[in-house]
Amino acid sequence: MSSTFDQIATIIAETCDIPRDTITPESHAIDDLGIDSLDFLDIAFAIDKAFGIKMPLEKWTQEVNDGKATTEQYFVLKNLAARIDELVAAKSAGA
Amino acid sequence: MQLDYFRLIDRIVELDLEARTIVVEAQVPQAHTIFEGHFPGFPIMPGVLLTEAMAQSSGWLLLGVTRFERMPFLAMVKEAKMRGFVSPGQLLTIEAKIEHEGSGFAVTSAKARVGKELKCSADLTFRQIPFPDPSLRVHMDAVANAIGFPLQAMTP
Repeated sequence: MSSTFDQIATIIAETCDIPRDTITPESHAIDDLGIDSLDFLDIAFAIDKAFGIKMPLEKWTQEVNDGKATTEQYFVLKNLAARIDELVAAKSAGA
Repeated sequence: MQLDYFRLIDRIVELDLEARTIVVEAQVPQAHTIFEGHFPGFPIMPGVLLTEAMAQSSGWLLLGVTRFERMPFLAMVKEAKMRGFVSPGQLLTIEAKIEHEGSGFAVTSAKARVGKELKCSADLTFRQIPFPDPSLRVHMDAVANAIGFPLQAMTP
């Protein structure tokens, strides 16, 4: 079974037409991969579907705008994978 | 349809918030200047307007689901297929369904028919944001009333 990072890297590669081998756990979705907010909607849709979750994008954005979090915490892919794992675990615990 | 006001939807036939579906009707006008250019001797509804009609249908569904708390703005059109010509005077029946409700966005699928014949379909993505201006909310309330938006469907 592929890792969460591998799955989201594949989703990003297919959704945004970015070569898969340029996407690493350290890649920042916005700063390094140049993904804009519209493409990120597409990615969020695919991730939500693939993992059966609802990524709280609005909450994350608000936290960044309020200075309570950095974009790195959510948009560096290894961190995004960790957030997704947390959401999946929380969903499993609540099921 | 009131094409000059970009109001593509005439009537909400059915709104099922539990099933996340809507059915609307849209009467294509018998005559309009659009048909003089699109096309001379062969007037048909432009595909962009059919897409907009599917988007507005989806939009009313999303407004119902969010209880008019969020205004949906069209962000993405995928798999838009114009499957047959739509002529002046025809009555479109448009069905839309929510495929996914994300955080600040939603994805719908929509189909438009004339009679039983499928004329077009598309997958649509919307950003959903709080109403950016109170006058827009007032306007949407007025249009909702005009097209028979079933407010009772939103009561628990």
